Amino acid sequence: MHGGTKARESMDAWVRVSSLTYPRIGEDVWFNDRGLHMLTRKSFLKSGAAIASIAAASGVAPARSEAKKKFTLAWTIYVGWMPWPWAAENGIVKKWADKYGIEIDVVEVNDYSTSINQYTSGGFDALTITNMDTLAVPAVGGVDSTSIITGDYSNGNDAVILKDKTSFADIKGQSINIVQYSVSQYLLDRGLQLHGMTERDVKVVNTSDADMAAAYLTPEVTAVVTWNPIVEQIMQNKSAHNVFNSSQIPGEILDLVIVNTKTLNAHPEFAKALCGIWYETLGIMLADTDKAKAAQTEMGKLSGTDYAGFASQLATTHLFSDPANAADFTRGSSLITTMEYVRKFLFAQGLMGQGATSPDVVGIEFPGGHIMGDPKNVMFRFNADYMAMAAAKSL
Amino acid sequence: MNVIEVKDVWQIYDNRIVLERLNINIAEGSFVSIVGPSGCGKTTLLRMLMSEEHASRGSILLDGKPLSREPTVDRGVVFQRYSVFPHLTVLGNILLPLELRSSRVCGKFFGARRRSAIEDARTMLEHVGLRAAAPLYPAQLSGGMQQRLALAQALMAKPRVLLLDEPFSALDPGTRADIHVLTKRLWEETKMTIVMVTHDISEAFRLGTRVIVLERPSPDEPGKGARITHDIPVRARQTATPDKLKIA
Amino acid sequence: MRIINLHPGRRGARLLAAAPFVTVVVLYLIASAIRLAANPDDRLLPSIGKMVAAVKLMAFTQDMATGDYLMVSDTLASLQRLGEGLAIAISIAFVVGIAVGMVPYLRRMFVPFIAAFSMVPPLAILPILFIVAGIGEAAKVTLIVIGTAPYMIRDLFMRVEEMPKAQLIKAQTLGASSWQIALRVVVPQMLPRLIDSLRLSLGPAWIYLISAEAIAAQDGLGYRIFLVRRYFAMDIIIPYVLWITLLAFLFDILLRLLQRIAFPWFAGAKSQ
Repeated sequence: MHGGTKARESMDAWVRVSSLTYPRIGEDVWFNDRGLHMLTRKSFLKSGAAIASIAAASGVAPARSEAKKKFTLAWTIYVGWMPWPWAAENGIVKKWADKYGIEIDVVEVNDYSTSINQYTSGGFDALTITNMDTLAVPAVGGVDSTSIITGDYSNGNDAVILKDKTSFADIKGQSINIVQYSVSQYLLDRGLQLHGMTERDVKVVNTSDADMAAAYLTPEVTAVVTWNPIVEQIMQNKSAHNVFNSSQIPGEILDLVIVNTKTLNAHPEFAKALCGIWYETLGIMLADTDKAKAAQTEMGKLSGTDYAGFASQLATTHLFSDPANAADFTRGSSLITTMEYVRKFLFAQGLMGQGATSPDVVGIEFPGGHIMGDPKNVMFRFNADYMAMAAAKSL
Repeated sequence: MNVIEVKDVWQIYDNRIVLERLNINIAEGSFVSIVGPSGCGKTTLLRMLMSEEHASRGSILLDGKPLSREPTVDRGVVFQRYSVFPHLTVLGNILLPLELRSSRVCGKFFGARRRSAIEDARTMLEHVGLRAAAPLYPAQLSGGMQQRLALAQALMAKPRVLLLDEPFSALDPGTRADIHVLTKRLWEETKMTIVMVTHDISEAFRLGTRVIVLERPSPDEPGKGARITHDIPVRARQTATPDKLKIA
Repeated sequence: MRIINLHPGRRGARLLAAAPFVTVVVLYLIASAIRLAANPDDRLLPSIGKMVAAVKLMAFTQDMATGDYLMVSDTLASLQRLGEGLAIAISIAFVVGIAVGMVPYLRRMFVPFIAAFSMVPPLAILPILFIVAGIGEAAKVTLIVIGTAPYMIRDLFMRVEEMPKAQLIKAQTLGASSWQIALRVVVPQMLPRLIDSLRLSLGPAWIYLISAEAIAAQDGLGYRIFLVRRYFAMDIIIPYVLWITLLAFLFDILLRLLQRIAFPWFAGAKSQ
């Protein structure tokens, strides 16, 4: 059972403090936080201390039943996840939480990677995360997680950019600046696959996303793979050419909301509330109304940009605004194909654990019961039920 | 012949007059002891003699010429503390003046010149009773030995005048007695002109050919500086032509 | 007996010194065991066995792609950057520190500027550094230099100013020129103090090194930590952190030893 309030309180305090203290480099504060935000030693230590205290608390404290059960959803700044803070600020979260008699805390984490690590340590009940990272960290780390919302797929938000070269094939033999082990590397790999090349044809240089734009300006850097809004920033240079991006592998880089499976099984109302919040918010923000424009402007501000900036990022994000479509997609066969690519990639990179002899070491369950990998070690589940309920308006 | 002439020297800091109307002529071969209560300005006078400070009024002449504005080799100095270099051995400390004189760029000797310089240095060490201490560092020496080293080092540079700033105040009576004997002997052999500042009156009389007393007027007023109240001849000075300690 | 007068014996002192370390290890093992009992794949507090396996993998097994022993090549790469950065920093510090400390004109001109420069947080000017120095080795070494040199310069010229004035006057009365004073009096006495300054700067130097490697690198201890952090591999991170700590500790000891052997007079002089 998930750990008690003590863990959550220490978590809240840390997160609140950290969101005030993380340094932002440069004045253009609209760096997408889905990737690695450069951690200073101070914040790294703080997170380590927090993680250790949570570990101690969550490992030892037994679950306590309370009057109103409290759950946390963690999010980081990324266009596809901005509905969450907006919903929290505009009372939608409270409305749905009250409907199901629970409390939902929507917390921002400054650094994407840290949010994943904290979820995996038991600090959060639900998390906004990509499909690939779900498999690589919590699933491989033994934390059984269920994706209840398929929010969107990257439709051009992730891109391979070459300097002064216009064709992807020109990437052969180059040094590529990239956040290693992120979706950028997955994108790169898929691009190489589709063009008959492998990672042996290039050299990968791990570069922090916070510095990618500055790095591009130096003459040594000739190839980068990164995500929005950094992609847009770099594309402002005349020398930059977008030779491959996620719109060419639609549906493979997915943004999900995952919930700890044990928590989900004990409290399905949490998932129902989350779905309710999500689709109501999407309905408001994607309509053709002034309220939608206001909502998007607000979300833009929350992510450090303005309406125009946010709208342009939305354009390269395919949001599953209709829950029926989202449910269908989740039940579809293309998802299975995608996860096959993803787990092959992770296994090839050695990210499925030291002792792994094949990608089957972790099992992935799909709607309908199909299991990919070890059925005795299923740690990642796709669940379309709650989206279906949203479509049927039975939430 | 007057080696040092202090002519109507005043020293004034902001609005305080520290020294006023000092007139002293120091003949060659004298050993002048300057005494006075603490804070009266005798160290200030010595500092002016070594050019660490400059007189507000009046002038000081060395061999008839105005004093250089900075410390130079013609005025050797021994302080109460920090008078030798901690990073050099005893031998190294004695060698230093020779090395500085001979090599302007790298300050060191090589080869034959080095060997002869070391000979001279060892002779000096023998003379002051520090031969066995040659490889030691000053921190390993007692206070008395350090001051002996300081004297030897200063004399090695063959200065015109030797200035001593309370050199023996930090030593215990037994050691002090020994070093008085050594100092007297060195003075007689080199016929050096020495000016020594001390607050120990018996020491002043024991060593000096002349004792000068500096006192502030009483009651103490900032508008009035210390002046010479007594100038007492004690014994004869060394009168033969300066015949510095023969070193090889 | 007052507590300030209570002294542990020799053996007692050793036990006391070991106690906090032992406590930390024991607490870790307990917490780790608890978590692993709940989830054998837990990543936050890996077991000792898992960390040993990770070290075996990183240090004693050849990497499939490159053929290197990763921990070894990481260590060498980091040490090279650290060494280059510190070598440049101490050279600058030595020359500038002594010149500024000795020459009043230079002191007036540079002391305020150096003080202000030392307040600039190096990590904040990183973007400028990239544009100037690129994102390769030069930038990393430059970051280390910018981070450590100002402190060492200030420390050194403060030490020069602390030198007893008596020594400088004595040297002048022995006939030394400014150059000779610098060469024979100031420099030899500042060298052991430079080592002290370096020892104190080692900590910050490691920090700048690791930060620099986090930005753009292909090897190095900091690189590896930030890389595997992405997938929460504490079983690699903890050993790497311990290794870095051990290295820093070793360097400190080596420097102290160097100071004692090369400058035997320093210990005595300091106490006076």
